Amino acid sequence: MPVTYRLAKDFNVAASIIRAQVAPNQVGTLVVELQGDIDQIDAAVDWMETQDVEVSSASGEIIIDDLVCVDCGLCTGVCPTQALTLDPNSFHLKFQRSRCIVCEQCVPTCPVQAISSNL
Amino acid sequence: MGITRTIDEINAKISDQQAVVWTVEEVKAKVGDLGVDAIAQQVDVITTGTFEPMESSGAILNLGHTDPPLNIRRCWLDGVLAYSGFGAVDLYLGATQPADYAGLREIMEGEQVRERGGGHVIADLIAGKSIPFRALGHPSDCYPRSSFETIINRDTINQFYLFNPRNLYQNFIVVVNGGDRPLWTYCGPLQPRLGNAVYSNPGAISPLWNDPDLQLVGIGSRIFLGGGIGYVAWEGTQHFPLQRRLPNHTPIGPAATLALIGDAKQMTEAWVRGCYFKGFGPSIMLGVGIPLPVLNEMVVKRCTIQDQDIVAPVVDLAIPRRIRPTFGLVSYTQLKSGSITLDGRKVRTAPLASISLSRQVAVELKQWIEAGQFLLTQPVAPIPSDRAFLAQDSRGA
Repeated sequence: MPVTYRLAKDFNVAASIIRAQVAPNQVGTLVVELQGDIDQIDAAVDWMETQDVEVSSASGEIIIDDLVCVDCGLCTGVCPTQALTLDPNSFHLKFQRSRCIVCEQCVPTCPVQAISSNL
Repeated sequence: MGITRTIDEINAKISDQQAVVWTVEEVKAKVGDLGVDAIAQQVDVITTGTFEPMESSGAILNLGHTDPPLNIRRCWLDGVLAYSGFGAVDLYLGATQPADYAGLREIMEGEQVRERGGGHVIADLIAGKSIPFRALGHPSDCYPRSSFETIINRDTINQFYLFNPRNLYQNFIVVVNGGDRPLWTYCGPLQPRLGNAVYSNPGAISPLWNDPDLQLVGIGSRIFLGGGIGYVAWEGTQHFPLQRRLPNHTPIGPAATLALIGDAKQMTEAWVRGCYFKGFGPSIMLGVGIPLPVLNEMVVKRCTIQDQDIVAPVVDLAIPRRIRPTFGLVSYTQLKSGSITLDGRKVRTAPLASISLSRQVAVELKQWIEAGQFLLTQPVAPIPSDRAFLAQDSRGA
């Protein structure tokens, strides 16, 4: 079923796919950011549930292991929202959770594998 | 009225715990108020440090002889191949050698095979971990054994020291991707169409910026290496002192390098870390610190160089050739501001060295010297200052 197409066509909801794991004849997982009118998003979620699509609102977040991180800051160059920055004085890595869109680009960038996500 | 000190005089003060030691950052911060001469009067030693991936690194291991004896011709430490084509139980484990097969933790704990290599094995050994060892021998009358398997840790191997052919680049490049697909590079991922820029040198606090002509550092200089004591062994591979230089003697691109050596059994896990660049391969991050003896005012003068006074070339890695196009020079102040402007576009910058841990190396070395635990050495020979830099092209049939 073309879920994101129906969201756009029937509900005028833009679904930005952050992560997708879909295989034939298997349960798949799609992590999407939904943008649109709040009522229409609610209607879209109701419709998906009638289609046997299990919807859970994402509490996904990036987890940084402070014991592993070396504060190199390589991740700050790929973070699109500046949720990850280096403090201009201490050059310690700073993570502003509220800015993070869980795009996970930092995860493979980290050379010491200090970053993971719970999605 | 100039001051002069000798290494012996400085060492006498260090032994009495009377030496005045500043980090190079303290010198840079205070020179505006105090001036070069006053700092030279009161300071005996200036410490510098860096913490960054140093791919041309590795460890020499002498395993110790087995009974019956074994002449190792092929061997793996935790799944990572080590070179063994020399002494019977001498091994060289290179930092960028990728794992051939899953190591112990993956097998025992069923974890996914992680991306790892020689740098991780070296770091694990330094951290005191036990790792599996497998070897195939070349049987002979002297060494009858044909294979050997055991578990080793740093206390059960006869010798274990880092011997790094190229560390401590005096400046490097800034890498970008001018192409239209993502690149997975030795400086991490580069997003297409100049999506990001990565610089690998921590800037003016890094050791060799502050001794640009290598007048203080030479073969035999005692240094901080991986949390233990090491020495400058030789010029590094790709040592290129003839790189073009600014009037302040600092190079505008990759220049001097040093080969370093030090007993890994004394090193600590905080300063030796395995790392992995996705889509490229494994490497090792090392903390390295160099003490600079304040022999005269010129030593202090050279240490006052700031990020705004030093530059690096921006190189496009989308062209996989020996000579790659560049976007010109940028200063380290610009790089550390978080963005540079290329072709009229703002491009995010990120460091690859840990600037905070680089500072910490200089602080730690300062504490060693203040405590009287680390004496300075007079180099036994200088690092060459006029070495040619040859490329390799295919010749003949």
